[in-house]
Amino acid sequence: MKKSLLLGNEAIAFGALKSGISVAAGYPGTPSTEIIETLQRFKDRYVEWSVNEKVAFETAYGASMMGAYSLVTMKHVGLNVASDPLMSSSYTGIDGAFVIVSAQDPSMWSSQNEQDNRYYGLMALIPVIEPYDPQSAYTLTIKAFKLSERVHHPVILATNTRVSHVRGPVEYEEPSSPIFGKLKKKPDKYSLVPEVAKKNREEQLKRWELIQEEIKQFNEIEGEGNKLIIASGIAYSYVKELAPESMKILRISAPVPLNKEQIISALEGVDEVLIIEELEPIVEMQVKNIAFDAGFSIKIHGKDYIPRSGELTPDIVEFALKKFLGLYYEPKAIKIKDIPPRPPAMCPGCPHRSSFVDIKRGITLGGLSQTFFSGDIGCYSLGVLPPFQEQDSLTDMGSSLGIANGVYRSTGVIPVAIIGDSTFFHSGLPALTNAVYNNLPVLVIVLDNRVTAMTGQNPSPSREIDILQVAKGLGVEYVKEIDPFNLKESVKIIADATSWVKQNKKPAVVVAKRACALEVIDKFEELPIAEVKLEKCTGCTICYDYFTCPAIIPREDKKATIDTNLCIGCGACIPICPYQAIELKGKIPKGWDEVWRS
Amino acid sequence: MEKLNILIAGVGGQGVITLGKIIAQSALISGVKALVAETHGLAQRGGAVNVHVRLGEVYSPLIRKADLLVALEATEALRNLSYADENTMIILNERVEKSVLPKIRMLSLEEIKDRLREYKVLSVNADKIAVQGGNPRGTNIVMLSVMMELKLSKFIKEDVLLSLLDERNRKVYLLGKQFIKGWLYAK
Ligand code: SF4
Ligand code: SF4
Repeated sequence: MKKSLLLGNEAIAFGALKSGISVAAGYPGTPSTEIIETLQRFKDRYVEWSVNEKVAFETAYGASMMGAYSLVTMKHVGLNVASDPLMSSSYTGIDGAFVIVSAQDPSMWSSQNEQDNRYYGLMALIPVIEPYDPQSAYTLTIKAFKLSERVHHPVILATNTRVSHVRGPVEYEEPSSPIFGKLKKKPDKYSLVPEVAKKNREEQLKRWELIQEEIKQFNEIEGEGNKLIIASGIAYSYVKELAPESMKILRISAPVPLNKEQIISALEGVDEVLIIEELEPIVEMQVKNIAFDAGFSIKIHGKDYIPRSGELTPDIVEFALKKFLGLYYEPKAIKIKDIPPRPPAMCPGCPHRSSFVDIKRGITLGGLSQTFFSGDIGCYSLGVLPPFQEQDSLTDMGSSLGIANGVYRSTGVIPVAIIGDSTFFHSGLPALTNAVYNNLPVLVIVLDNRVTAMTGQNPSPSREIDILQVAKGLGVEYVKEIDPFNLKESVKIIADATSWVKQNKKPAVVVAKRACALEVIDKFEELPIAEVKLEKCTGCTICYDYFTCPAIIPREDKKATIDTNLCIGCGACIPICPYQAIELKGKIPKGWDEVWRS
Repeated sequence: MEKLNILIAGVGGQGVITLGKIIAQSALISGVKALVAETHGLAQRGGAVNVHVRLGEVYSPLIRKADLLVALEATEALRNLSYADENTMIILNERVEKSVLPKIRMLSLEEIKDRLREYKVLSVNADKIAVQGGNPRGTNIVMLSVMMELKLSKFIKEDVLLSLLDERNRKVYLLGKQFIKGWLYAK
């Protein structure tokens, strides 16, 4: 037994290792990314970043068909992408053990929504396990694998930001040796033609009953009294700290499905219940159902006391508890106003910043007086902010091309679709195929920086597969590459592509290729640095107000100066200054250009 | 056992998360339970970030009221004022960093201090001390030494902490300690 300070996600990885996983796959997404990153350190198992969540899911699912112990990870919205095989996996069941990690993001710290994936459990008939701290993340991962193995059914482990990204002491054991599979063919189980599916449906329902029985072990009653608190997942951490010590608490670590007898016995002798859970009333619905059927007539509070949106906080839980216990509590309202906003920004030297400048100038020159910037998910999402404002929509991974299609079909305005390299492979490919197939006049800009940068430079297929060739292969007739730092040439090519689209009423693809700045600075000890020649600088504000590299700082007299701690010497600001006031100083290290271009 | 709630706020890239990690790591070795809640994930820099550090017999990952509110950038103290009350000690680094959005007027250090009038504030020029110590990126470590002197040393052994720092950071740590000793003495 070792005890270390672990991130919740690391604890999940160690739980999976202890359970003997041999195959793990995932698609990066906050807050799930560190699980695969941790597993990658163990070379005796197969761990991959897949091209999207559906492929990752099928990889782990396929392994478990062969009897292997497997894991798939993704953020909550990723499960939407994988929902097709998810539903099937519940019909077929599995042979080894299969755990699906869905990392939720209540309060939307870095996501487009805060959907509660426990609903997937109810819909797909897959049990959901919900840890409440890093230690429980470890223990419950092991229990989830055991459950999956015993009932031959997939299990969802639903973690969230406050479990995945919390560091705490975790006691854990050394990894067990990996349990791989053996080739077996069971078409009568795994080939879901209607005849098999109908039979599977019956078996699925039988397994579901068995699961309802097995699930009891995940939940526990503490304390006693005539008032009961039911706390699901992370809620337990708050209740444990804030509720009076002897209170009767039902800790739920498996909110889906609940066991009837267990709930009834918890409700016995109780005259009021408070259910605390994050987001949707999933436990509440089930408890109320069970209570109603069993003829209880007690008051059950839930979403009337706890908000349905946003993550739980100690204040929210305390407020609900005091109300429930009939104690007076007035949260002290603090007025915080007029604080200058501070959203994150693209890094100094980020090629996307230059691309946004190039695109704006290029399409104007190419004769697009108005357009719709159909955006996508990635670092470049920040292009929604001033001064660029070049993301008029961004709804889900790979959405840029599909939304652009709808915009054009309904308005006749030629759209610009902006998509990253990783996103392009994730789900842009079918949409580009559709654009060619249905003749969509669209200017597609692929921002190819070789990585999934937003989650911390996870490698992307663009390292192996040339996007230009892919586009050509799909039948795109106009395909060109630009270097976003080369302002003049990029603007020219984008202008040319724009008029080509207008004339030919077909899609054109421009690939803006330059490495993520963080990739570059990782590789060099000493960097060049930009310098503003003050005698040439007129204080026009273009470099800091319209280009906005964070390393360029305005002085009192409006002239610009460079923060030497932030500047990475990329030189992207040089062509931006209309007065040639910015120069690079210091030596350009060997291999500099190659790394940026590779 | 007593609990200690620390909220560390700053701007992405200032070492906010690293600071939380060092504290928790030294607590673990010193035999104290620690929970650190981080909201990271976006690789980009320059955005507001905060980290909740809790020491002692704690379960909830998030803080209600901080005993220490540590701002590596002064504006961020204001952004996190909902975690402070009259008992909170606010440690302020005397630095105002511009917003990454264009044309945003930042509050001056004086304006920020003015808005904090009703609170207990200890203001430190941590950037300057870090530079003096030969490590311009060591602002977070200067703040660490101030925290140690004020409250942390009850939970963390200094030799454990020092053993986790490299040579350059140790130097900055000791300089910071000198500063805070002088400040406490002057009081
Ligand atoms: S991580 Fe890379 S892609 Fe993302 S903003 Fe920074 S430089 Fe740009
Ligand atoms: S060279 Fe210019 S654009 Fe590049 S990081 Fe330095 S200031 Fe920013």
